[in-house]
Amino acid sequence: MEKLLEINGLAKSFQNNCVLDHISFYVGKGEILCLLGPNGAGKSTTINILLGLLRRDDGTILYNGKKIDRSLRAYKQKLGVVPQDLALYEELSAEQNARFFTSLYGLRGERLDEAVEEALTFAGLADRRNDKVKTFSGGMKRRLNIACAIAHHPELVVMDEPTVGIDPQSRNHILTSIKKLQQNGMTVLYTTHYMEEVEEISSRIIIIDHGKIIAEGTKEKLKEDIQSEKRYHIDLEEGSYVPAEVFYVVEGVKEVKSQNGHIDIVSVRGVENLDRIISLISDSGAHIRNISSEEASLETVFLKLTGRKLRD
Amino acid sequence: MYRFWQIFKMDLMNNFKNPILINYNTVFAIAMILIMGYLSSGNYTNEIDSYNYYAVAFLVFGMLEGAMTATNCFMERDIKKPNLRILYSPCGKFPVYFSKIAASFVFDYVLHAALCLVFVLMGINLGGWNVGWILLMMIPVEFASAALGVFFCCIFHCEETASSILSLFISIFAFLGGAFFSLDGMGAALAFASRFSPVKWLIDAFFAVIYDGNLTVVAPVILVAAGFGVLLTLGCAKTFRTEDYL
Repeated sequence: MEKLLEINGLAKSFQNNCVLDHISFYVGKGEILCLLGPNGAGKSTTINILLGLLRRDDGTILYNGKKIDRSLRAYKQKLGVVPQDLALYEELSAEQNARFFTSLYGLRGERLDEAVEEALTFAGLADRRNDKVKTFSGGMKRRLNIACAIAHHPELVVMDEPTVGIDPQSRNHILTSIKKLQQNGMTVLYTTHYMEEVEEISSRIIIIDHGKIIAEGTKEKLKEDIQSEKRYHIDLEEGSYVPAEVFYVVEGVKEVKSQNGHIDIVSVRGVENLDRIISLISDSGAHIRNISSEEASLETVFLKLTGRKLRD
Repeated sequence: MYRFWQIFKMDLMNNFKNPILINYNTVFAIAMILIMGYLSSGNYTNEIDSYNYYAVAFLVFGMLEGAMTATNCFMERDIKKPNLRILYSPCGKFPVYFSKIAASFVFDYVLHAALCLVFVLMGINLGGWNVGWILLMMIPVEFASAALGVFFCCIFHCEETASSILSLFISIFAFLGGAFFSLDGMGAALAFASRFSPVKWLIDAFFAVIYDGNLTVVAPVILVAAGFGVLLTLGCAKTFRTEDYL
């Protein structure tokens, strides 16, 4: 994949507290790269350095193969930024906001009119263009927050948790919009805490914790890497019971819990033993009401890699 | 220049959409002049003199308080977030702080010039045609005040802290400068301390133009205030860092 943004050995400390420990990664042209990590992992610091707001202690950042420091303005011209906090003038209309922020990228006249029109339509706000932002719902403000970032047609859109605190409809609209941006050739760097969003939109994922990259790859690869076992959940007909010990004779079975007509079996991944388990249940005279197997979710992957301990 | 102009227009519009700022610079000032003028009318030879005194005193006080307009324009919580978006854009740092200085300066100057017009209509003496010199002297003072407000934000990285400290200093200067009541006859110590207040110098200069027609004070006021304005703007350039805005 062609690299649009390349980060090498990025390091940052705040008062001897190492926040980023020489991380390296890239954002490929046309992909949606999701940056995941618990609170305090170093995501925001990474983003702020990439946006040119925060100085780094070490490392290089290349955009299209060129160091961004050589021409920070030209680099920023290619960026669209959707900050986590709503960055809008509440007393102004949607159109005034979009027009102002787009003009900062040098657009004027007809080009500015067209860009604003296109962005407001994209965000589903064309018919509310003249309304003050303070009259908007949370979802509408979020959509306008995105419209203001993409109106000037950036090559790379950096989105920092753009769906915080909104209703499912607006979230769905935003996620669909992000996929549309990708189809239109834009590259997206996306941070979020919502795993279902990452499942839906990501081309590739980077998980960061304690200032280091701890996993990287597609969602399928991350799941596969972490999945060394699989789980079966079996519900029996009322009154049926099969003791747990029965199942330990089956190849691959590592752990069994049988209680109140419900059996949970942990088995080694790659050993096909479901037929044998079912026949053991039948032989015991019990009847199966429901059976399911659990695949690792992205959340499982995330928690396994970053731990379950609460973060500040 | 196009981008700076866009940001300047937006900052100016935001100031004019802020009713608190507008009222503080107009209605509050007139109310204070009327109240203080009435309360202290017995201390002056005739009633109109106390109003004349407080009109000039609160005009000067209001000009220095213009620093607070700038802190609001630069780092007020609701304005700071969209301002951050300006830093994301390819505008560079200069338009971010300088547009706040320029917009606050224009905003305060327009309101205070309007206030002068109201004073004239109220019959307050602003020196007849010499009011033109008063309006001219106000320009660099307003600019320096706006630059001071933004400079304090650059130093303290927080609007609340910058405003609190500025407000304290300006109030002390105003007190020492006799903006609230004249310190004449209150002892040698206060008279000496009042020499360190720019409010005192400005009130004296304004009175010299208004009552004595003495125009020799105009150039020093303009030069010193403009010098401070330029120095404070350079200070902003030196101390403003984008990470402080995060």
